[in-house]
Amino acid sequence: MDKQRIEKLIETFNTGKASPAEIGELETLIEKSAVELSALSDLKVLQDRIFDAAVPEPTSRLDNQFLQLISSHKPEARINWKQMFSWPNLVPRFSLAAVTLIAGLAAGYYLRPATSADPQIDQLSQQVTDLKEMMMLTLLQKESATDRLKAVNLTQEMSAASEKVTGALLSTLNNDSNVNVRLAALDALKAYTNDSDVRQSLIQSIARQESPLVQIALAELMAALQEKSSVKEFEKILKDDKTPRDTKKRIEENIDVLI
Amino acid sequence: MSKVRDGDIDKLGLLFARYKKPLYGFFYGMNKDSALAEDLVQNVFFRILKYRYLFRGDGDFRTWMFHIARNVSHDHFRKNKLRKKDSIDNWQDRLSSHEDRSTLYVEDEEKELLSLAMDRLPEDKKEILLLSKFQDKKYKEIGDILGCSEGAVKVKVFRALQELKEVYKKLEVRH
Repeated sequence: MDKQRIEKLIETFNTGKASPAEIGELETLIEKSAVELSALSDLKVLQDRIFDAAVPEPTSRLDNQFLQLISSHKPEARINWKQMFSWPNLVPRFSLAAVTLIAGLAAGYYLRPATSADPQIDQLSQQVTDLKEMMMLTLLQKESATDRLKAVNLTQEMSAASEKVTGALLSTLNNDSNVNVRLAALDALKAYTNDSDVRQSLIQSIARQESPLVQIALAELMAALQEKSSVKEFEKILKDDKTPRDTKKRIEENIDVLI
Repeated sequence: MSKVRDGDIDKLGLLFARYKKPLYGFFYGMNKDSALAEDLVQNVFFRILKYRYLFRGDGDFRTWMFHIARNVSHDHFRKNKLRKKDSIDNWQDRLSSHEDRSTLYVEDEEKELLSLAMDRLPEDKKEILLLSKFQDKKYKEIGDILGCSEGAVKVKVFRALQELKEVYKKLEVRH
């Protein structure tokens, strides 16, 4: 079909005078894209108005429904143990753990308290202890019982006494002329009863004591320590006629505890 | 859409934000019921999720979506046969309630008449005009949706516009 015929057909249609046959002809041309819809003025206006017509907005209800839809379709997070313990996953984790450990050790090493002052402090405290020991030993030699008591009390300020100190205390316990001093020495020695040598010396000291007060104090200490080997020594005191009856009674009570 | 198909469901949110309005407009144009139009949009996205593996990725998503939308629309009217009665039977009802709708949808008299004329078109003609609107006159894509050639779509649009013109003229005379 020639161009003129097509233009005439379009014109006839646009004036509203197209016959059914002409409309059929026009449809054929439209189907073959020989005539564009935009060329048909009345219909174009109508179509443009359809395009321009406002479209109402959906409400927020639609958004909410969509969110619910999405959340219901999301796959649940499931732990894939096999994948979790696969080497590609483990290597970075172990690396991180190793790096963290090394960093922690390094930080601990560099942030540790400065040790340079420690030897000085240790040296100083050792000097103080030595000084106290010397002072104690000196005081024990004094004639005054008060001085000797002070000497015995000094040992209580020492955190760890040396053999020299315990030896001096045992010597005081065995030989001091003053009962109060001997009792104080015994009291001071209680702190060192964990030492088997000290315990043995205390047992040996029992028979050497003449003062009932010291004898009773020793008996009570032995009972508290559950030192059964001391019973023989106490029996010697019991056999001694010089021992007062009350003392014997107290010692017997403590022996009963031991046996 | 390819990402949605591959399991990235969150990406569907982008498609929803982009296409909810044209879809809603299509359904609203078909039935003039805003709540129903929203439900049908929701139904379309439900089907998109359900059948996402069917999206081949070589075609236009919009065309695929409107293909689903058309099926959703047809399924709805098939299930609700009362609404599927001959549109002429519904004219009286629509006329009685058009004032409420017109205040929402159109402002001036011409738009009101056009809206009424659209309502009086048979479903298939109304559908082709709405598809050409929301598919931006891409007749080839509409042909893919309807399963016919581009030329056949143009003829359908031509016939629908002709009928719309006739209905519009009749309404104009009454007013």
